[in-house]
Amino acid sequence: MIRIRDFHKRFHAGSINEVYPLRGINLHVRPGDFVTVIGTNGSGKSTLLNAIAGAFPPDSGTIEIDGEDVSGKKDFQRAKHIARVFQNPFVGTAPEMSIAENLHMAHLRGKKKLLRLGLGLEQRERLREEVRQLEMQMENRLENMMGTLSGGQRQAITLLMAVVAGPKVLLLDEHTAALDPKSAAQVIALTKRFVQNGGFTTLMVTHSMQQALELGNRTIMMHQGQIIEDISSEEKRRCTVEDLLDKFSELRKKERLTAEMLERLRRSY
Amino acid sequence: MELWVGAIILGFLYAFLTLGSFLTFRVLHFPDITVDGSLTAGAATSAVLIAAGWNPFLTLGLAFLAGAAAGSVTAAINTRIKIDGLLAGILVMTGLYSVNLHLMGRSNISLINHTTFVSCLEKINPGLPAEIWLLVCLVPIMALFWIAASLFFKTDLGISMTATGNNPTMAAAAGVNVERMKIFGISLANGLTGLSGAVVAQYQGFADVGMGIGTVVTGLASVIIGETIFPLRSIYAKIFSAILGSVVFRLMIALALSAGLNPIDLKLLTAVFVLGALVLPGTFAKWPKARAAFAGFPRSATNLRRIRIALPGVAIAVLVLWSAVHFSQHGVIGTKICRIGIVQISDHAMLNTTRESFLKEMNVQGYLEGKNCAFLYRNAHSDTATINNILDDFLRQDVSLVVAISTPCTQAAINRIKDRPVLFATVADPFVIGAGKSDTEHKPNVTGVYGAVPMDVLLEKVRATLPGAVRIGCIWDPSQINAVVNVEDFRKAVERHPELTFVGTAVSGTSEVYQGVLSLVQRGVDVMVLPPDNVIYSAFESVVKAAKPRKIPIFITDVERIQDGALAALGYDYTSSGIQAAHLAERILKGEDPGRIPFQKYSHLTFALNTEVARELGVKFPPAIVSSATRIYGDKSAPCLGGLQASTEKAPSPGRVRRLALFHFTDSETVMRAVKGFMDELEKGDFLRRHAVKVDRISAQNDWNLAQAIARDIVRKKYDFVVTLSTPTLQMMVRTNREIPAVFGMVSDPYSLGAAKTPRDHPANLTGVATSPPVESALKIMRELFPKARKIGMVWNPSEACSEASMHRARKAAPAYGFELVEATAGSTGEVLDAVKSLAAKGIDLFFTSNDNTISLAVGSVAAFLHQQRIPYFSNTPVHVEQGAFLAIGADYEEVGKETGRMTREVVSGKSPKTIPILEFVPERVYINRGLANEYGVKLPQPLAEHATFIKR
Repeated sequence: MIRIRDFHKRFHAGSINEVYPLRGINLHVRPGDFVTVIGTNGSGKSTLLNAIAGAFPPDSGTIEIDGEDVSGKKDFQRAKHIARVFQNPFVGTAPEMSIAENLHMAHLRGKKKLLRLGLGLEQRERLREEVRQLEMQMENRLENMMGTLSGGQRQAITLLMAVVAGPKVLLLDEHTAALDPKSAAQVIALTKRFVQNGGFTTLMVTHSMQQALELGNRTIMMHQGQIIEDISSEEKRRCTVEDLLDKFSELRKKERLTAEMLERLRRSY
Repeated sequence: MELWVGAIILGFLYAFLTLGSFLTFRVLHFPDITVDGSLTAGAATSAVLIAAGWNPFLTLGLAFLAGAAAGSVTAAINTRIKIDGLLAGILVMTGLYSVNLHLMGRSNISLINHTTFVSCLEKINPGLPAEIWLLVCLVPIMALFWIAASLFFKTDLGISMTATGNNPTMAAAAGVNVERMKIFGISLANGLTGLSGAVVAQYQGFADVGMGIGTVVTGLASVIIGETIFPLRSIYAKIFSAILGSVVFRLMIALALSAGLNPIDLKLLTAVFVLGALVLPGTFAKWPKARAAFAGFPRSATNLRRIRIALPGVAIAVLVLWSAVHFSQHGVIGTKICRIGIVQISDHAMLNTTRESFLKEMNVQGYLEGKNCAFLYRNAHSDTATINNILDDFLRQDVSLVVAISTPCTQAAINRIKDRPVLFATVADPFVIGAGKSDTEHKPNVTGVYGAVPMDVLLEKVRATLPGAVRIGCIWDPSQINAVVNVEDFRKAVERHPELTFVGTAVSGTSEVYQGVLSLVQRGVDVMVLPPDNVIYSAFESVVKAAKPRKIPIFITDVERIQDGALAALGYDYTSSGIQAAHLAERILKGEDPGRIPFQKYSHLTFALNTEVARELGVKFPPAIVSSATRIYGDKSAPCLGGLQASTEKAPSPGRVRRLALFHFTDSETVMRAVKGFMDELEKGDFLRRHAVKVDRISAQNDWNLAQAIARDIVRKKYDFVVTLSTPTLQMMVRTNREIPAVFGMVSDPYSLGAAKTPRDHPANLTGVATSPPVESALKIMRELFPKARKIGMVWNPSEACSEASMHRARKAAPAYGFELVEATAGSTGEVLDAVKSLAAKGIDLFFTSNDNTISLAVGSVAAFLHQQRIPYFSNTPVHVEQGAFLAIGADYEEVGKETGRMTREVVSGKSPKTIPILEFVPERVYINRGLANEYGVKLPQPLAEHATFIKR
C-alpha cells in the first residue's frame, strides 16, 4: 500500500539551521498493516508521517501509495487517500464550526466542493449515527461549536473524521500524547476498534513502548532519520518492553544514545 | 426625510462591501486593505462602460469582475509569494490607484446624462418620490441578496471556505486546496466591493478616483456595528446583521450631521468607534467565561484592567488631537486694538441669528474686523466641556470682552471670567444661573440681554387655537437649566385652568426625544408644546416625526423652526436681541462699567403660523390668532386663516426669511477670496436685508463623502437658493438638487461635468459662471517677456481633472507660440519637487503650472528651487506670486465671486435660472514679483507695466 524508496529530506539546506531528518528511508507497508513507530526524540518519526501525507516533496527518492507515485503531489491532492490525526487536539478540527460541519468536511474529503447544500436532514441523521459510535454522548450536541468540547472529545471527533470517509491510509501522530490518561485510553480503544473494523493501512507514532507492542502487527524503530529495527508480527508477540529498551541500550553502546536519554526512557515506561 | 431615506439607500448599496468585509475579516481572517482600490475599480469600470453606452446592469457584472481581479492579485501575492496579507493589500491598493486612473482616462467621470440603474428604475416608477421608489426597489433585492449569501455559506463550498479561514490545517487535511480557496474567497469579497463601488457611482452620478479612500474602515465598522446589534451565531443572522450594520453606519453619519456635530470630527469619531468596538467584544469573545465572571475570572480581570488603562489613553489622545486641530485653525492673531471673544454653544439657528445680527451691528458701529478690532468666534458644538477650553483660549489671547451667546456659555463665562467684562445674549433667565439678583443688582463684570418666552402668553395662544379640554404634552431635558425653569412656569400656567391637563416627560439627550414623544402620544396628548430647550430643538425632526402621523399639533418657542413642521411658534426676534447686545458692547468698550449697566429684556415678540401644517391637521385658526400673527409661513390665502388675510397684512409682516446655502469644497485662500467677493456683492446696498435672505456658508472640508452628505442635507432643509463655489460641490448638487434655484461659480468647465450642454442648454434651476484659467494668455506673456525661451517645463497631477484640462490646452497652444513643452507628473505633493528637478535637468527655460491643487500645496519649495536655478516661474494662480513665483496671470477669483454674486442677485430677485445663460467670465489679471523681474532682467512692455499688480517679496 505504501512503498517508500531511499527517501531523503533536508530542511534549510546550506544554512546554519540545517536539519536532516530523513536519511534514506526504505519502507514497504502492505495493505491492512497496522504499523507502530517508535524512536528517540528527533529521530524523524513525525517527519516520516508528514512525508507520507505530502507536507513536502522529497529531495530524492520516491513515495508510492496504492501503486501510484505521489512524490510530486501536495497534501490536499493526497488527502483523498490519506487521513491524519495530530498530537494537538486543536489542529484537527475547526473550533468556530459545529460538530456537524466539521464531520461534513470529513465527508467532503477528496470530493469536489460544489455549490450544493450538503448538510440536509438526512445527512445530519447519518452524522448522528456516526457520532453515536464514539459512545461519548455527543450525538445530541451536533450543533455545538467544536471549540466548546474537551481535548479528549475533540480528539475522538478528529479520529472519527479521519475514518468516516474510508481512507486507504491512516496516519496517527502521537494522537493521545496530549490527553489525560482516561481520555487517552478511550481514544486508543476507539482507534483499535476503527482500524479493526475498517481494515485501514495504519501508521501510528507513539512514545509508549507498551502501546507499540500491544497495538498493530508490526513495529518499526527509528533513529537519526533511519529505520533501524523492523519487528514483524511474530517477533512482536515474543518481544517485551525490556527487549525494546535493550535495543535502545545497544544504541548507547554504539554511543548513539546518551545515558540521559536512556534514563528518560526507563522512567517513562 | 430625504436624509434618512438617502442614508438607508446608501447603506444598502454599501452592503455588498460590508459582506465582502465580513468574508475577509470574519470568515477568512484576512485583513484585506485592497478594498480601498477595488471599490474605485468597480466604480470606474461601471462608469467608463456606461459612458460608452453599455447597459448599466451589464456593467455591474464587469465591475464585480474588476474588483475580483484586484482581490485575486492580493491573494496571490499573499499565498504564492508568501508576503504578509496587510502588505499585499497595501501594495495592490497603491498600484490600483494608477490602474483606476488609466481605466477612467481622467479623474472623474460624470454619469448625469447617462442611463444608470437608478434612472432605469425611475422609468417604471408608479408615482412615488424618486428616493422612496428606489428604496422600495432595493428592499426585495437586498432580501434576495441576504438569502443567497446565507445559502452560500451552507453549501459544501461555503463550509469549506469557513473551514479554510478557521483552521487551514484541518481544511487541507479534508482535501481543500487552501491557497486556491483563499484566493477565491478574497476575490469574491473584492468582487462584492467592486459591485458596491459601481452601484454607488451610478447612484451618486459620478465616479471619482478618490472615492475609495477609507473603505476598509467603513466596511469593518459596518460589520462590527451589525455584530454589536445582533450577536447571534446563525449564518442568516450574521449576514442580516452585516447588511443592517451597513445601514446603521450610514444612519449614524446622517444623525451626526443633522444633530449638528462638527463634520470635521466625523472621521476621527469613526476610527475611535471602530477601535473601541474591536477592543471590547474581542476581549470578551476570546474568553467566553469572562462575561459570566466579570470580576473573578483572572484572565478577564487583567484584560478589563488593560481596557481601563487603554480607553482613557485613547480618549486623552483624541482630545489633545482634537483641540490641537481645532485651535490651530484659529491661531493667534497679531496685535490688535481690541479683541472680542464670542462663544456660542451650538449652531442653533436662533443663536446664529443672534451672533450674525450682533456682528453686523458692531460693524455698523464702526468695529471693523481686521482694522480696529478682531472678533474671535468659537462654537462649542454642543459640548459644554469645550466651552471652558474656549474661554481659556480667550484669556490666553487676552480679549477685552467676552460675548456669551446661550445659557450654558453664559453660565461657564461668569464662573470662569472675573477680571474682564462678560456680555450675554439669548439667555432665558440670567438669575437662575447666578448672574445677579435683579436687573440692576448683578455681578460687577457681567451684563447682557435676556428674555424668557412668556409661557403664559404661549398657553393663551394654545387655548385660543384649540378650545375646550385639552391634554398638553411637554418634553424637556433636565440638564438644560432654562428648560426646567420654563417648564415649571408653563406647568403653573396650565394648572390655573382646570379643563387643561399637563402631561410631561423628561429625556436625556437628542436620541431619546423620539421615544419620549411617542410615550406622550401613548398617554393621549392632544397637543405638544415645546419650551426653549437646546436639546429638544436639536432633535426637533424627531418630535415632528413622532407627532405628525397622529395628527398632533406642535407649538414651539423657536420661530426659526416654524417651517420644519410646527403649527405655530411664539418667540423672540433674535435679530433684535443681537442688535441690543451690540449696543451694550459698544458702551462697555467705550469704558462704561458693566456693573452699572442694567440687564436688558428683549422687547420684540414674534408669532408665526404655518398654514401648510394647519391644512394637514385640519386646524382652522380663529380670527384673533390670525390677526396677532406677525409671520405666516406657507400659503397666505389658505382657508385655515379664515379669509382674514386683510388683518395679517396690517401686521408688520416681514415675510419669511429665505435661506441661501453657499456651498464650497475647501477653505483654501483662493476660495475664500471668491467667497468674499460674493458676499460683498450680495451685501451691497443692503440687498440681503431688503430681500430677507439669510446666507449659510457650508464647507465640505475637502471631503467627497462629506460633500455628498451636505448636498443631501441642503435639499432636505429645503433651502431657497444654492450657490456652489468649486467643481466638486457643483457636481454633488447637480445630482441631488432638481428644484432649488442654483448658481455656480469657480468652475472651469461645467460642460464636461455634465452640468450643462451649452451655455443656453442647462437644467431649468441651474446657471452660473464658468471661468477657465487663461492658459493661452500665459503662454503669450511668456513669449513677450522671454523672446529667446524655447522649452517650458510643466508639472501636473493626472488625477486632477482641472489640471489635466489645462495641460491639454497648454499642449495645443504651445507650438503656436514657438514653445516646446516638457512634462512631468506628480501624484502627490511629496513628488512635486522631484518632478521639477527632473525638468530642470532637461534644460527648461521657463516653468509653468496651471490650475493644479497638488502643485499649489508645494509652491514655496518649488519657487525657491527655481529661483536658485534662475528659471522664471509662471502660474495661473495669483497667490503663487506672493509665495515666490515670478508671474501669474489668472482669474481674479474675487471678481469671479462678485460675478457669481451678481447672477445670484438676479435669481434672488425672481429671475428664473433657466432664462440666464451660463456666463464665460475670465477676469484676467497679471501679478508680477518685482524683485524677480529685476533679477531676471526682464523689460516689461508698457501696457503690462501699467496694468499689472506688483508684489514685493
